Amino acid sequence: MRKSKWQKIMPVLLIALALFFFYLPIILTMFFSFNSSRSLSSWSGFSLQWYQSLFNDRAIISAVTTTVSIAVISTLIATVVGTIAAIGISHTKPLIKELILSVNNLPILNPDIVTAIGLMLLFTTLQIPKGFTTMLLAHIAFCIPFVILSVLPKLRRLDPNIAEAAMDLGATPWQALVKVIVPQILPGIISGALIAFTMSFDDFVISYFVTGNGVKNISILVYTMSKRINPTINALSTIMIIMVTVVLIVINIIPLFKKKERTVLE
Amino acid sequence: MSTFRNLVKPYMLWMGIFIVIPMLLIIFYAFTSEGNSVITVKFTLDNFIKFFDSVYIKVLIKSLQIAFVTTIICIIVGYPISYVIANTSSKVQTLLMLLITIPMWINTLVKTYAWISVLSDNGIINSLLVKLGLAPISMMYTDFAVILGMVYNFLPFMILEIYTALAKMDKGLIDASSDLGANKVQTFQKVIFPLSLSGVISGITLVFLPSVSTFVIPKLLGGGQYMLIGNLIENQFITVGEWNFGSAISLIMAMIILISMYFTRKFDQDKVENGNKKEVKHA
Amino acid sequence: MKKIIKLGAVLLLAVTMFGCSGDTKEQLKVYSWGVYIDPEIITEFENEYDVKVIYDTFESNEQMYTKLMGGEKYDVLVPSDYMIERLIAEDQLQEVDLTKIENFAGLMEGVTDLSYDPGNKYSVPYFWGTVGLLYNTTAVDQAVVEQQGWNLLANTDYKGKVFIYDSERDVFMIALKALGYSMNTVDQAEIDEAAAWLTNVDDTMEPVYVTDDVIDAMIAENKDIAVMYSGDAAYIMTENEDMNFFMPEEGTNLWVDAMVIPKESTNVELAHAWINYMLDEEVAATNSSYVGYTSPVQAVYDEMSGVGGEYEGNVAYIPRLGYELDETFHNNEDIRKVIADLWTRIKSN
Repeated sequence: MRKSKWQKIMPVLLIALALFFFYLPIILTMFFSFNSSRSLSSWSGFSLQWYQSLFNDRAIISAVTTTVSIAVISTLIATVVGTIAAIGISHTKPLIKELILSVNNLPILNPDIVTAIGLMLLFTTLQIPKGFTTMLLAHIAFCIPFVILSVLPKLRRLDPNIAEAAMDLGATPWQALVKVIVPQILPGIISGALIAFTMSFDDFVISYFVTGNGVKNISILVYTMSKRINPTINALSTIMIIMVTVVLIVINIIPLFKKKERTVLE
Repeated sequence: MSTFRNLVKPYMLWMGIFIVIPMLLIIFYAFTSEGNSVITVKFTLDNFIKFFDSVYIKVLIKSLQIAFVTTIICIIVGYPISYVIANTSSKVQTLLMLLITIPMWINTLVKTYAWISVLSDNGIINSLLVKLGLAPISMMYTDFAVILGMVYNFLPFMILEIYTALAKMDKGLIDASSDLGANKVQTFQKVIFPLSLSGVISGITLVFLPSVSTFVIPKLLGGGQYMLIGNLIENQFITVGEWNFGSAISLIMAMIILISMYFTRKFDQDKVENGNKKEVKHA
Repeated sequence: MKKIIKLGAVLLLAVTMFGCSGDTKEQLKVYSWGVYIDPEIITEFENEYDVKVIYDTFESNEQMYTKLMGGEKYDVLVPSDYMIERLIAEDQLQEVDLTKIENFAGLMEGVTDLSYDPGNKYSVPYFWGTVGLLYNTTAVDQAVVEQQGWNLLANTDYKGKVFIYDSERDVFMIALKALGYSMNTVDQAEIDEAAAWLTNVDDTMEPVYVTDDVIDAMIAENKDIAVMYSGDAAYIMTENEDMNFFMPEEGTNLWVDAMVIPKESTNVELAHAWINYMLDEEVAATNSSYVGYTSPVQAVYDEMSGVGGEYEGNVAYIPRLGYELDETFHNNEDIRKVIADLWTRIKSN
């Protein structure tokens, strides 16, 4: 059965439209970040002035630093704590396991504004001054569940006897943990870490409610600056978009190269 | 192994402080009234009664409506796209899915802000319309802008879920179906669509529930008069200062969402069970 | 495995150090309105006093109050008159030592010793002005504006062309004035009438409630009429000649934003230095020029509004003084709650 012209064109058209929809605002944002005037709708020439003002703006630099440092620190801590907790959970009795997992999943299932309010009330009640510390604690709190959810499935598939066998052969529990279990669940740990990093980097609502004393992350910054036309935000956005794209492309291309290596070796 | 079991204990302590206590605080604030110290606590249902006023119920209904419309659009637009992608060659699939998922990883504020300059009265679309001699359209601060922003934000999730379900499907079933005489439409109706349903449901969970509680997108694209439940909660906590009422609303919303998730899970499980039963019957 | 741990530790250390750097200098925490200061002034202050200024912004007095009550610590706040009244009543402020504020002498007469803080014991004026109607002269006739005053906002000829500031106090002020009542009324019937007036506007005019995004929107002429603070109006009028500003005859709100020092501030010396710095003639001139709001410093006001001044003839820069129907807000907790609740309901509709 030969496909009619329509049947051939329609899918292509659909995909083209989809990609146009997704990338229109992104491309336009990037485009106007190079505009020589303050307009976001009419082009008046090429200029790097907004990138210059970006690097001179203390508030923006501060927000970027805050976002990155919180994302890195909370990812590291959440990954370690989450992995250890997941290993512990996989060895608990079913009833307790269900309970722990239900509580653990609350930050994921709850709308983020509810989690945000809860944490804000917590910090206010405990009279912890709001700022970098509270933002960090909040981020760790919502990142750990993601790590756990990422690692647990891998733990389930693990052969329960291998760790025991290692210990029978003289390994300490710690060695069994680090040298036997962890390497096998590494893919889960890594994907958990990636998810945690993204959740932290992208977070707005929780950070917005638990921060204070002038500490802002990028999302909060864009939120407050979005009231006035400010191509400096476009410059910041462009940099972030490029970074994300590069990272995603790299992540997707590396496996392809590894495949090629293998075929070459074979 | 009891040694490993102990590893979970520190985390249980952490959960107690950072997950359980916050929820308890919300419940506490929701059931008490303002101006109480630890000694003179006054329990009341006033905050909940206040919510069941038609004005606030309207806000809840509007939030559900917007979330519903967003989800439907995501399904109607997302399914064909996923279907087309799933039917391309493997290399093209990887490329297309990469292109679709890149926006997912871009910061929500950045994405929504980008739409402001596109939809604005003196933004790019209107500048183009004016140049072409047409009348400008006011798009900002409307339902259209909010739904557009929401769809833009959530569509990749829907596509991802449906695509995954379609890609996992056993192609043999499709072949079997056409071997048995079904045409393309029938195959789609009776084989492909039912099997991809779990993907649609996962997609709905990823789109509908966050949409109900979102407040950033409505605030940026809808303006001050756009009061959805998320905006109402934010308004009560940040501007009005009624933490008790705000907590009550948060609790109501959390309950709605948790119950919905419970039912979606049950539905999904039932579907899987029944689906298996059907397969066994036909085989 | 060990490599990963080592790398992680190094990264952690580096990032923590990087994130915590800059803690050595003395810090001043200022909490003020958005776009209310020339950023260069902050840098200049930091350089002159060799300190670090953390400058945070809020969108409304209510937001500032909530954050303050939530336990955030600042050294200088810049609330509006009625909020200062409230903070004084709730014992949240320290007294300002005016002997440390030499530039206080340069302030205009009409802006000091007002009822919200007699004798300026707790506050020092920063900017002041009024609230009025900004309108596009090519779309709206000046005569119509002057005749209808606040009721212009209910004129369905301009349906869909109106911006209203998302501030409960200001909208109720407008409604009460439009109905001929005092903005400080405690009469529930009058407040309910005002709420009805606002509901009517909400239902019939399709207004858009905005905050600072109204500034660029009006420069771009996205709508024809906007409720506007005088300073923002002054700025917009310098950017778009078609715009004009009008203070309705029914009266409006004459407001003052002033600098105060919260009780819990530990950096009192530096706070006083900041306050005094803001009133320095050169600094105040740069500031007023950048932001558009009327400076309370006499010399600066004269320069800006006088011959050859940046805001010469700019109606919005010159506040209307001595008009009996113009009022300053008084804080009343109960009424505030009622109004906040009513406004949320009107917006939710």
